Amino acid sequence: MENSILQLFPLSTRCLWQKTAREQEAIQEIRLRAGRQAILYRDGREVFLDRQGEFTDSPEQARIVPQKELEELLEHICHYSPYAFAEELRRGFVTVAGGHRVGVAGQAVMEGDGSIRTLKNISYVNIRVAHQKKGAADGVLAAIYAGGIPQNALIISPPGCGKTTLLRDLIRQISDGNSYGRGMTVGVVDERSELAGSFLGRPQNDMGMRTDVLDACPKEIGMLMLLRSMSPRVIAIDELGSEGELKALGQASACGCRILATVHGTDRRDVERRFGVDTKEWEKMFDLFFILGKEKGKCIVRRIEEKGGRIC
Amino acid sequence: MIFGGCLGLGVWYRFRMNGRIRALRSLRYILELLAGEVRYGQATLPECCGHIARYLSPPFDTAFEEIGRQMAENTGRSFGEIFRQEMDRVFMSLPLTEEDRQAFYEFTLQTGFADAQMQLRIIEQCMERLRVTQEQLEKGNAEKGRMAVGLGAMGGLLLILVLW
Repeated sequence: MENSILQLFPLSTRCLWQKTAREQEAIQEIRLRAGRQAILYRDGREVFLDRQGEFTDSPEQARIVPQKELEELLEHICHYSPYAFAEELRRGFVTVAGGHRVGVAGQAVMEGDGSIRTLKNISYVNIRVAHQKKGAADGVLAAIYAGGIPQNALIISPPGCGKTTLLRDLIRQISDGNSYGRGMTVGVVDERSELAGSFLGRPQNDMGMRTDVLDACPKEIGMLMLLRSMSPRVIAIDELGSEGELKALGQASACGCRILATVHGTDRRDVERRFGVDTKEWEKMFDLFFILGKEKGKCIVRRIEEKGGRIC
Repeated sequence: MIFGGCLGLGVWYRFRMNGRIRALRSLRYILELLAGEVRYGQATLPECCGHIARYLSPPFDTAFEEIGRQMAENTGRSFGEIFRQEMDRVFMSLPLTEEDRQAFYEFTLQTGFADAQMQLRIIEQCMERLRVTQEQLEKGNAEKGRMAVGLGAMGGLLLILVLW
């Protein structure tokens, strides 16, 4: 994945992105707006890209991104075939080789029923650089295993606190096997291509040797599909968001599958309130609740709660 | 020997004319395969090239494999650029005119469509242009071919008479 962001750019502008590519590990986002400065988020701090491709703090010295360049970039990202990415563009982002996510915004073209047909005049591009942190789940493995089998776990976290990173590494370690348990088949429904970062159906992140990924499929349908087709022993999903998904999780759990899921929220009560489902129902599905947060800018696991509210 | 040479020239011209028709037919077949891949597979153009390589005969098969490979390598060069470079190599050995080549390349210049139907339409337009050229050639082909051989033979005889 090293230097893979360089491959996002057409040859004509690659020379400008050499330094950014070299420092890829420190880059979180690249924001390009037509007629505006190129902004990068590096180690959580905003920097501009100057005309030589160097970083600068001064917006006056920053390079202005021409509209034409954005168009070329998008065409290159879409392999000169935007029609093949119509669905992704409709959703507002394209996942590319390396697992990076390219979000786009412009002018929406609407269908008669109010849904979005496509985006045109794309003038804003946000490249979210993918980082796989192997070992991110080392600290929670001991808690998650009971008798060599992983327990059903829900990771609760506000945005940007590392829930997807934690889940990704949990999947990899459970799939490959670790000192707490042997490797087992994991089924992942990756609706937004964020976990595996699949590109043309192939995961760009290491998801483990026994992991099957169903990419870009709605979670609700995907979980049941995976159950039927791949018979996983563990099912993992990112960002639980609807009651339908919760119901599908319940079904998977009833089939004897272990469940790993993440959800946006600050704590259990917050999540319960949002879904309108009480504690008992959650505890029927999950044995463990990981509450994530941030401390001094670092993502941490604040608390691990067991069923019944006991804190590990 | 002079007669044989001139006759041979006529036959070569006829062969070349037939060769152009065969080449145009091949180009249309390629575009049909590409259109099929876009229509049913919703595949990207570079992917399409890689896929259809197995259905093509030499020298097109290796050229399309190469296009697919180079695009997968992602060197930053555009699809149109790579496509032209590889096809130019193939065209060197084919009796096609500059117009034929441009008609074939047309679809690589227009690739930014968010709608597959639009991309298909462009490919179909290229096919149509090649079809018209092919049909025009086929119409007068037999006659022109005979004329070329006849002229070659007569030219040979005339040259013998002049030299005598």
